[in-house]
Amino acid sequence: MAGTLSVLLIGLPWLGALLVWLSGDARPKILHILAVGTSVSAGLLSLILLAFAGSQPAVNFKFGGWFGDFTLVADGLGATLAAVACVVGSLAVIYSVDYMQGEAQLRRYYAFILLFIGAMTGLVLSGNLFFTFFFWEITALCSYALISYYNDDPKAVSGGMKALIITQVGGVGLLAGALAAFSNLGSFQIADLLKGATSIPAGLLAFIAYGFLLAAAAKSAQFPFHTWLPDAMEAPTPVSALIHAATMVNAGVYLLARFYPAFAQVPGWTLAVTLVGMLSALTAGLMALTATDLKRALAYSTVSQLGYMVYAIGVGGVFASQFHLLNHAVFKALLFLSAGAVIHSVGTRDMRKMGGLGSKMPFIRNVFIIGALALAGVPIFNGFWSKEFILEAGLKQGPVWAFGFMLFGAGLTAFYTIRMTWLVFYGQPREQLHVHDSGLAMKISTGLLATGALTTWLLAGPLSGLMSGSLPYHAIEPISTINLVMDVLTGAGTWLALIILLVGAGLWVVVQRSPNPIPQAHWFTELMGTFHEELVSSSFGFEWLNQQVVAAVKKSAAVLQKTQTGELNWNILGIIIALLAVLVMLFWGV
Amino acid sequence: MNISPLNVVLLVIIGLLAVGIYGLLITRNLIKIVLVLQILVKSAMLALVLAGKVGNNLGLGQSLAATVIVADTVVAVVGLALAVQVRRRFGTLDVADISTLRG
Amino acid sequence: MDAIRFTWMFAIPLLSSPAIYLAGRLGIHNPNQKGRPNLVRILALLAVIATWVPYIAAVRTFLSGERLEFAVESIWLRADAISLLLALMVLSLGTLVVIFSWSYMADEVGEEKFYAMLLAMMGLMIGLGCASDLFNLWVWFEGMAVSSYLLVAFYREQPASLEAGVKYLVQSATGSVLVLMGIALVLANSGSLDLAALHQNGARWASDHRLVSLAAAGLFIIGFGVKAALVPLHTWLPDAHSQAPSGIRAMLSGVVIEAGLIAMLRALSAIMHPLDWRIILLSFGALNMVFGNLVALRQTILKRMLAYSSLSHIGYILLGIGVSLFAGGEAAAQGAMFHLFTHMLMKGLAFLAAGALIYALYLQNGSHHALLVSDLAGTAQKYPMVALSLSIAVLGLGGLPPLAGFMSKWQIFVGGFSTQNGWIIALMVFMALNSVLSLGYYAPLVNLMYRKTPSDAILAGKPLPSTITLPLIFLAMAVVVLGLAPGLMDWLTAPAAKALLGLFGN
Repeated sequence: MAGTLSVLLIGLPWLGALLVWLSGDARPKILHILAVGTSVSAGLLSLILLAFAGSQPAVNFKFGGWFGDFTLVADGLGATLAAVACVVGSLAVIYSVDYMQGEAQLRRYYAFILLFIGAMTGLVLSGNLFFTFFFWEITALCSYALISYYNDDPKAVSGGMKALIITQVGGVGLLAGALAAFSNLGSFQIADLLKGATSIPAGLLAFIAYGFLLAAAAKSAQFPFHTWLPDAMEAPTPVSALIHAATMVNAGVYLLARFYPAFAQVPGWTLAVTLVGMLSALTAGLMALTATDLKRALAYSTVSQLGYMVYAIGVGGVFASQFHLLNHAVFKALLFLSAGAVIHSVGTRDMRKMGGLGSKMPFIRNVFIIGALALAGVPIFNGFWSKEFILEAGLKQGPVWAFGFMLFGAGLTAFYTIRMTWLVFYGQPREQLHVHDSGLAMKISTGLLATGALTTWLLAGPLSGLMSGSLPYHAIEPISTINLVMDVLTGAGTWLALIILLVGAGLWVVVQRSPNPIPQAHWFTELMGTFHEELVSSSFGFEWLNQQVVAAVKKSAAVLQKTQTGELNWNILGIIIALLAVLVMLFWGV
Repeated sequence: MNISPLNVVLLVIIGLLAVGIYGLLITRNLIKIVLVLQILVKSAMLALVLAGKVGNNLGLGQSLAATVIVADTVVAVVGLALAVQVRRRFGTLDVADISTLRG
Repeated sequence: MDAIRFTWMFAIPLLSSPAIYLAGRLGIHNPNQKGRPNLVRILALLAVIATWVPYIAAVRTFLSGERLEFAVESIWLRADAISLLLALMVLSLGTLVVIFSWSYMADEVGEEKFYAMLLAMMGLMIGLGCASDLFNLWVWFEGMAVSSYLLVAFYREQPASLEAGVKYLVQSATGSVLVLMGIALVLANSGSLDLAALHQNGARWASDHRLVSLAAAGLFIIGFGVKAALVPLHTWLPDAHSQAPSGIRAMLSGVVIEAGLIAMLRALSAIMHPLDWRIILLSFGALNMVFGNLVALRQTILKRMLAYSSLSHIGYILLGIGVSLFAGGEAAAQGAMFHLFTHMLMKGLAFLAAGALIYALYLQNGSHHALLVSDLAGTAQKYPMVALSLSIAVLGLGGLPPLAGFMSKWQIFVGGFSTQNGWIIALMVFMALNSVLSLGYYAPLVNLMYRKTPSDAILAGKPLPSTITLPLIFLAMAVVVLGLAPGLMDWLTAPAAKALLGLFGN
């Protein structure tokens, strides 16, 4: 049963993608129906799969010599993430029925979304490193195609290119790590790597571990690769919600969580993971503080929240990170989709032009606020429980200084979340924007996600039971929801975090109350403006670094191009020189 | 190194080769380039005959040289035919003047 | 089975070549009578289809374990797995090119010359794969070269294609002289040119005459390397690839340079001890990759971009072969053989798709203008099939799954990493980064084609006949199928890798 379901979860969306592509752009209605039909049925099946999760391979057949066996394992980690991908995916597709109404080339959009959903499920269910990499690359391709969906817009094109190149460079780490593991173990099976990690020579294991960390950081837009995600916001909003908030960017976190037991002993690895997570959480939080583009602000906050998950893995809280991953997927998808409803309605992403929209779109305001409270970590919303659980783990098992920085990050989160909500929905309307309420499909999907943001934390118990039962190498302690609640409520970290959160929120009130409200000349805006120009717009200098690399490549290309003079004598000279060089190399014995 | 007939042939081969390579590097007239190619091929032909002699397989060496003559004539014919067309289209035989494809 | 039967693989195309030429010349082909079936094309198509018969028979014999060999006097022709792989590549692409050219070359003067030369080139390449004697190898090689000069300079009214033809001829002829010098060195010191005889005693002759054999190795690498487009011997390639008729471009890039590579490896096998020159193969591999990819980034003409990308793919193949010879192990060699095949499919597809656009946008409007990258904007609006197949081709070349190029590159990587040698692993990482770099020029092409606002050239484009789209569909499907089931080619690539390593005695 688990086998059939796993195959269906990949096959059904892919079949949908094929059908969508074949049916052409002429009748958009058929496209909507096909896409919603296949993705919703995949979503439902993925929930059924949770009941059949287990550590044994669900599917296993020989694929061929250098590729290993095609194995799908629906264990706790895989099945949960597959469910997230399919359920959020189907909600994003439902939402698209309204959002993408009347767009040209709709089939390209739906085909890639469905291809993505299938590939993402494959990525998390795969029990073979080769297929992990295979699906990993397909998700990168889909992400590229969808970011550049509006490809008459040069910003969308360059954003897509950047995302593709950076995640592909990271992918080299996964490729190298997987093959290094194969060269030692003679197998691509993930289970073999987890089991045999201790028998791999320390140097090689470190190579694999850091290779995977590189891949994870690039895919999850973590420090120092965090520059691509904000630029990826040129994609249609459902894509941002699905790929760049709820699923694909989680692949890196998934990879680290999956191999944590194998790499935990590698010297410096957990510290490196902790540092990557911490730096991402902090820098992205600071960038979210000053962003003026609603989607970019959300993108920064995604990087920051992913930083929390990576940090959790670094300090050994694998379950905490996966719990936060689930909750974050729900509330961040909610935030993106409701932000998308706003953007769709007013036609701009600039928060400085919005304001006072709450009264005009009350439903969207309400669900956005639910998402925002979950993001800020306000009690009883799902983000609260998982974030506090991460902080608990950090306090107990991690370095104290890192915990301190993460606490500060929690305050930052509260601050920028309130700022964002305020700028969009409250205050005086700053520009005359034409506003219309959102459509039914948008309301259905955001409403469902809002319900999720209020309730998914109740799943903590079953989730931990599932993971501890089906992940033999991870040593996850099952913890019931009640115990988790008690743990969080009695932990010192929680109360510290709540205080910080209140400080953050209070600071916003102070800023807001002081004379000259945003955005005109105001001490805070000015301060932030300087800060923004100096550091944030360049992603703390890493944007500059990116540009230097690109410029160097282009320059060397230009130099090499000059060698093609097109003159015959020169060409012959090339032959003669090569001959002499080869003879010299041969005689002097290389 | 005593001066035996074989060494003389070897020197001739090397000489022809050097002339040919030098010619290819400096010649710009297409007809002359075809001629220089001929010189190069002649050096290779001599080399094959010499190799047959040295390797105690003179018959093989000679038949190879004969085959090369045929193949090389075909190349020369094609080369000259191209030269004729180049002269017609460009009004010049200078390879530097016909060079437009670069980069 | 009668051993001689496999020789029909190259005999049929070679014999039909003059027949087609005569049929065309004797006026049976009359361009003025529109709508009448054209005998030249039909003959060409029949000839390529007929060639499949002995090919399939040869494959069946091969799979049953029998040897395929045939001797005229003392000259042996032997078909091993490498020959069959090369023949398969030549035949597959050749058949599709003949179909593609059905309409594409219909209005050209000298159509009969085109088909005659194409078939001759195909036959010579298949023969080249079967040669097992150094000089015989050279003869096939030279024949292939001559037929390809004529095809490159086919548009003799076009100054640029004359220029490309001249450069190609002179550089190629220089390389061929170097090969002859190498052959002379081998003959002088071993007294034989038969590869099987030279192999005996593990090529004792070469270890007895170490310096001479090294010099011969250098001459073979450079001589055949001109045709195989090793950097810096590649300078003819961008010109020739951008000026030849579209079908020939596909053949040149998909098969001819690969045939040069195979000829080089066969010749090198006379010298055996690869220890001394394997590093040279690896260095050329690295150089080709990085040079091809970097220069391709700056191309504004689609065909030149694809030509430079061929350089980088030759680099990947060389790395795969070099790694296997360096450290043993079949994985990398098999990957390289597989990549030979997938590159043929993908690059053939890319050039044919580009050709389809050239036909629709320029040739039909009576222009020989080069197809610019910017002309591709909005292709999908008007030519969805061409846009899709060109996208599949370039994404496959860039190594994205689920396409064939991903699988063959992966095999090369597996082989490289399995050596557990730090330098090789560094090279493999370098290759992976190169593959990422190549996406820097492939991916924007796809983007451009799916734009909503078509370029002026696209707007003025003419409709495409089905003979042009059919080969595209077929190749695109092959690229996807091999991307999902790479094991389909194992029956040939695995023995070819074995045969390759067997040539060098491991």
